[in-house]
Amino acid sequence: MRAGLSTIQQTLTPEAAGVLNLSIAEAARRNHGQTTPLHVAATLLSAPSGFLRQACIKSHPNSSHPLQCRALELCFSVALERLPTAQDAVLEPPMSNALMAALKRAQAHQRRGCPEQQQQPLLAVKVELEQLIISILDDPSVSRVMREASFSSPAVKATIEQSLNSATQPPPRPSSTPLGVAIRPSIPPTGNLYLNPRLQQQQGSAVSGGTAASGPRTVHQRRDDVKKVVEILLRPRKSNPVLVGESEPGAVVRDLVKKMEGKELNDGALKNVHVISLEKEFGSDKSSMLTRLKDLVETQIGTRGIILNFGDLKWLVEQPWVSGQALPKQQVVSEVTRVVVAEVAKLLRLFGSEAGNGSSGRLWLIGTATCETYLRCQVYHPSMEADWDLQAVPVAAQSPLPGLFPRLGTTGVLGSSVESVFTLKNFPAAISSSSSSRLAEHLDPAQKIKCCPLCTQGYEQELRKLKATDWEKSSPEVKSNAAVRVRSSLPQWLQNAKVNPDQGEEVVLNQNIQELQKKWNETCLGSHPQFHRQHIVGSERINPTPFCMTGLYKPNLLLKQSLDPKSPLLKPTPTTQSQPTLQIPSPPRSPVQTDLVLGQTKTVTKPALEKPAQKEDSRDFLGCTAQGQPKRIYEFQCEKLMSISDTDSFKKLLKKLKESVWWQQDAASSLATIMNQSKLGNSIRNADSRGDLWILFGGPDRAGKKKMGYALSELVCRSPPIIISFGSGRNTDLSFRGKTALDRIAEGVRRNPFSVIILEDVDEADMLVRGGIRRAMERGRMADSHGREISLGNVTFILTANWVPDTVKLVTKSDSSFAEEKLAGLAQEGWQLKLSASKQTSKRRPSWLHSINTAVKLRKEMDSSNSLGFDLNEAADYLDNRPDGSHNSSDLTVEHEYDHGLDNRLPAASLVYHELLCHVHDSIIFKPVDIESLQETITSSISTKFSSVFGDRITIDIQEEALERILGGVWLGRTGWEEWTESVLIPSFDQLKEQLLTKQDESMVVRLECSRSPDPCGYGEWLPRQVELAIDEL
Amino acid sequence: MGIVETAHNVKVLGSGNPQTVVLAHGFGTDQSVWKHLVPHLVEHYRVVLYDNMGAGTTNPEYFDFDRYSSLEGYAYDLLSILEELQIESCIFVGHSVSAMIGAVASITRPDLFSKIVMLGASPRYLNASDYFGGFEQEDLEQLFEAMRENYKAWCSGFAPMVVGGDMESVAVQEFSRTLFNMRPDIALCVLQTIFNSDMRSILGMVTVPCHILQSMKDLAVPVVVSEHLHQHLGGISIVEVMSSDGHLPQLSSPDIVIPVLLRHIRYDIEA
Repeated sequence: MRAGLSTIQQTLTPEAAGVLNLSIAEAARRNHGQTTPLHVAATLLSAPSGFLRQACIKSHPNSSHPLQCRALELCFSVALERLPTAQDAVLEPPMSNALMAALKRAQAHQRRGCPEQQQQPLLAVKVELEQLIISILDDPSVSRVMREASFSSPAVKATIEQSLNSATQPPPRPSSTPLGVAIRPSIPPTGNLYLNPRLQQQQGSAVSGGTAASGPRTVHQRRDDVKKVVEILLRPRKSNPVLVGESEPGAVVRDLVKKMEGKELNDGALKNVHVISLEKEFGSDKSSMLTRLKDLVETQIGTRGIILNFGDLKWLVEQPWVSGQALPKQQVVSEVTRVVVAEVAKLLRLFGSEAGNGSSGRLWLIGTATCETYLRCQVYHPSMEADWDLQAVPVAAQSPLPGLFPRLGTTGVLGSSVESVFTLKNFPAAISSSSSSRLAEHLDPAQKIKCCPLCTQGYEQELRKLKATDWEKSSPEVKSNAAVRVRSSLPQWLQNAKVNPDQGEEVVLNQNIQELQKKWNETCLGSHPQFHRQHIVGSERINPTPFCMTGLYKPNLLLKQSLDPKSPLLKPTPTTQSQPTLQIPSPPRSPVQTDLVLGQTKTVTKPALEKPAQKEDSRDFLGCTAQGQPKRIYEFQCEKLMSISDTDSFKKLLKKLKESVWWQQDAASSLATIMNQSKLGNSIRNADSRGDLWILFGGPDRAGKKKMGYALSELVCRSPPIIISFGSGRNTDLSFRGKTALDRIAEGVRRNPFSVIILEDVDEADMLVRGGIRRAMERGRMADSHGREISLGNVTFILTANWVPDTVKLVTKSDSSFAEEKLAGLAQEGWQLKLSASKQTSKRRPSWLHSINTAVKLRKEMDSSNSLGFDLNEAADYLDNRPDGSHNSSDLTVEHEYDHGLDNRLPAASLVYHELLCHVHDSIIFKPVDIESLQETITSSISTKFSSVFGDRITIDIQEEALERILGGVWLGRTGWEEWTESVLIPSFDQLKEQLLTKQDESMVVRLECSRSPDPCGYGEWLPRQVELAIDEL
Repeated sequence: MGIVETAHNVKVLGSGNPQTVVLAHGFGTDQSVWKHLVPHLVEHYRVVLYDNMGAGTTNPEYFDFDRYSSLEGYAYDLLSILEELQIESCIFVGHSVSAMIGAVASITRPDLFSKIVMLGASPRYLNASDYFGGFEQEDLEQLFEAMRENYKAWCSGFAPMVVGGDMESVAVQEFSRTLFNMRPDIALCVLQTIFNSDMRSILGMVTVPCHILQSMKDLAVPVVVSEHLHQHLGGISIVEVMSSDGHLPQLSSPDIVIPVLLRHIRYDIEA
C-alpha cells in the first residue's frame, strides 16, 4: 500500500498531493480503516479560503448564508463520525476503492484537458487540485453529504469547471471562450468573494450581459486591466506583460500608454518611462528592426527607462511579406523572427529587470496577442517566454463571442472599431439573454418557496392547477426569435408551456406563480413559525439554475443573434427597434407591473429610441460613436424604471379621481397625468428638482374643482386639503384674523410639506396676494407677512379660477355657478329621503326614464341655460297631480334672474387667468357641468340598482325634487356617489324588499321621495345617511 | 476606484492613520448620518464611510431583491468592501440594522473586526413569547401597508416617529430627506427584511467584543433589547444606555451621543 500511495502521489501536483496527505492524516486521526473521498472533501473544506469552499459559495450566487458552509462542514464531520473505525490504529489508512476511482477519473480528465500540441506522456500529466475536487464531487457519498447540507454537487462542479475554463493560463483550448468568473485563487481575482453578483455582472465577466451600464463597465474593466499590467511592470521578475485576449488587449495597451504619457502613473520606477511603439517606429518592415532596435534602445534609454510596445505579437509567428518565397512558410517565420527574439532577449539581459544596473533605466516589453498567437509563440519560440521574461495577462473578452471577428480583432489598428461593433452587435443579445436568465430565476419555483413540507405540498398542488389552466389558454405556436430564446433558457417545467410571441402570457403566469409562492410563504410563516426559525440557521437555498446553464445556452443563442442578418440594430425598423426595449429585464419583484410597462414603452419610448438610432447608425458602424448607443439605452432604461414604479400608482390615482369626480373625466385624467409626470420629475418646469407643483383649475364647475382637490389630497397625503379661499364673502373663519392669505399658505406648508393646498378663486385675490403667489411659483419659496421664507417642499398647489376660456364658453353657455348655488341651497336645507311603496293607480304613468328624456328634449329646444330653473313650490305642487309627460312645464313659467356677474368680471378675470397660466406648471379646464346628463346618470344608476334588487317587474319612480337634492348632494358634498349608493341606497332597497316579500306584484310602485328634515346636514355630508321606508296599505 | 467602492460610495478619510473605523448607517439614511461624528474621528483614525445598497444614494440597478432579502446580503457587501480596501482589521460602528449586519459579517470573518460598536441595534423587532422586541405583527403589517399605499405620506409620518421630534426639527428633516431618497419598492423590501429578521440565534456565534449603545427612549428598540444582546452575544460585550431620545441619536442629539461613541471607539472593554 505504501508503494501504491507514492505512485499515486506522483500523478498529482504538489497541491493535490498535499490535500491527499492531509486527508490520510485526518483518517488516521479519526482511527478510520480507510481513507475515503469523504475525508478528502472534508479536508478540502476545512481550509478557510479553500477552493472548494469558494466554489460552494459561488454555486449559490444569490444567497449564500455564511453559516451554510459551516453546515456543510458539520455534515461532513457527522458523516465521518459514522464511518467504521479500525480495530488497531493504522498510521496511514489505505485509500478506499472509491477514492482510487476518483483519482483515476481525475487523471483521465486531466489528460483529456490537454491541448493537442502539448500532448504529453501519461506520467507527465499531473492531476491538478481542481480536477481532484471535481472527481471528488462526483463521488456518490460526497454528493449525498452535500445534498444533506443543501448543496448541489453538480452545481458546485459546474462552477469549478467554469472557473477552470476561464482561469487556466494559457488556456488549454485556444478556441474556448472564457466563461464564468475567475474564482481560482491563484489568479488575481477580478472581484472579491463577497461581491454583489450584480456588481460582478457590471464588472464585466463574460457571462454577464451588461444590462445597463455597459459603457461604464468597459471602462471599469479596462481600468482594472491597466492596473494589473502596471503591477506586473513593477515586479522584479516576469515583469513584461503580454495581454492575451481577443479584442480588448489593444485598447488596454492604449489606455496604459495614454496614462504613461499623461504622467498619471507615479509609482516609482514607472514615473519617467518612455514608450516606444514598434509599430510606429518600424511599421510593417520588421527586418530593419534587427539593426535599428538596439541603437534605438541604447540611445533612448538614458536614466528613465523604456517600454517597448510590441503591439500585436502576431508578426512573430506569421509574416505575410515572405509568403512569396519558395521556402515553407513556417521555416521562414522561425528564421527571421528567431533572430529578433534572440536580439530582444539580449537587450533584456542588458537592460531588463535582472540586469541590476541601477544607474541606467530599465527596459520593459509590452505586447498583445490572441490566445492562438500566444500559443504559437510558445511553440515556435519555446525559449521566448523565459528569455523575454514574459507574463501573460488574460484580458477577459468583453464580448461573449470574441471569435466572431478574429481577423479584424487581431489587427491592433482596427481594434477600436471592432470593439465598438461588438458593443453594438451584442448589446441586444446580451440584454435578451440576461433577461431570460433572470426570468428563469424568477420562474423557478424551488427558489422562492421556503415553506415546510406541508405548505410546499399545498403550494405545488395549486401550482399544478395554475399551470393546467395556463396550458389551455396559451397558443401552441412558437413564433418569434425572442420567444425561442426565452424558451430555451426556461426551466424544464416551463419548457412545456407554450410560449407566446409577446411573452405576455408568461409574464402573467410568472406573476401568478409568484403570488402563489408569496401566499404560501406567508401562510407558512404564519402557521409554522417553528419551521422558519430553524430555517434561518440551516437555511436551504438551492439555486437550480446553475451557472453552467446560462453558460451553455449562451454561445448558441448569441451565435444565432449575431449571425442573424436582421439583427435589431442593423435595421432600425420599428418592430426590431422595439425589441431591445422589450427584452430589458424588469427589476425583480415587480413583475406585476411588467405587462403594463411593456405596453407603455412600446408607445412612449419607441420613437425616442428610433430617431437617434436612425440618425447615428451609419456613424456607429464606422465605430466613431460607439458609446452613444449603450448610453442612450441606459438613459432610456432609467426612464422605464421610473415608469415601472409609477405606472400602477398612476392607474390608481386616475381611478380614484375618476370615481370621485365622475362628471369630469377629462379633467381627472389630465390631473392624474400631471401628477404622474411631476413625480417623474420631467414636468415642464420641475427640471430643477423642485418638489412643489402648481396646477390651475379653470372652468366653471366650482364644486367639481373642489372635489377634485379633495380627492387628490386624500390620495396624495391621506388628509383633507388645506383650503384657502379668496372668493368674496367666504372668509369668515375667526382664526384667520391677523393673518394674510400668504401667512395661511405658509402655515399650511409648514404643517405638512407634502400636503395639497387649494387656493380657491385665486382670480379674485387682491394684487398683493397674487404677486406673492406668483413669486412663490417662480422660486419655489415663499415669504409670509413677517418676511420669513419657507421652502414649499413637496406641496401641491391647486389654484382654482372661475374664468372659462372662450373656446369652452362657445360650446356651452355656462350657468353652472347659478346652478351650483341653487343646488347648494337645496341640498343644504336639511332633507330626508323616503322610499314609499304603494299600489299603482289604474292609470299608468310612463316610466321615469322615458319622461326625463322628453323633458330633456324639451329643454334643449328651449334654452339650455334655463334648464335648472324650477321652482320648488311648483314642483312640489304638480307632483301631486302631474299631467302625463309634461311635468317639467314649470321650466317655462319660471322667470330667471340670470347672474351676469361672472360675465362682467371677465376682462379682468381673463387677464388674471392668463397671468397665472404663465406661471403654473399645468392647467386643467373643467367643463361646465351638464346638469341634465348628470341627472340622467343618477337616475339610470338608481334604476339599475333598483332593478338589480327587485327585478324588472317593479319600477322605481324618482321624484324630481329628490333627484335635484341627490344631485346637489353628490355634486357639492364629499360623499362619493357610488359610495353613497352602496352604503345607503342599496341597503334600503334590500330592506324594502324584505318588508314587501309577500306583497310583490306588478302593480306595485316604488317612489323615491324627499321630505324636509329639521336637522341640517353637516358640511361635506350632504346626502342623507339613511332612507326612510314607507309602505302604504295595499 | 473599484466597482465596489463606486457602487457603495465608499469614502476613506484620514488615511494616514493606522487604525480603521468603519461607519455603517441604518435604514432610511446614508453615510451622511455620521456627519457629526466624522470630524472627531479623522484626526486619529482612518475612517471608512459607505452606503448600504438600497440607500437613496446608491444605484437601484444594483439592488438585488433576492440578495437583500436577508441581512447576509448586506454582510457580504460589507465584507467585499473591507476586502476591496484590503482592511485587515477595523473597529466597526454600526447603526441600527448595520450593527446586526456587522455582527453577521463578523461571524464569517472574525479576523476583520477588532470590535463592533452597536448603536440602536436589535436582533429582532417582533415580540415573541420570551422576547420583547417592541413590535407586534399587526403593527408591522399596517406599517408596510401604509408604505405601499403612499410612500411620500408614509415618510413624513415615519420620520418624526423614528427620530423622535417634530417635523420642524433639523434631524427629522434630514432623515426624511434620506428616507425619501430611497425608491419606494426598495425601501419596502429593506424594511421588511429588517423587521422580519431574527438574529437571536446567531448572537452566540459573534465572538468579537461588542459595545452596545442605546437611546433611553427609542421607538424602534426598547431598552431591554440591549440587555438581551448583552446576555446572548458570544463574545464579551458592554451596554451603555444614553440619555438621548429617538432611534437616530447621533443625528438628533449629537451632544450626548458623540462623546459616548468616541469613548467606546477609543477604549476597549476591560478584560
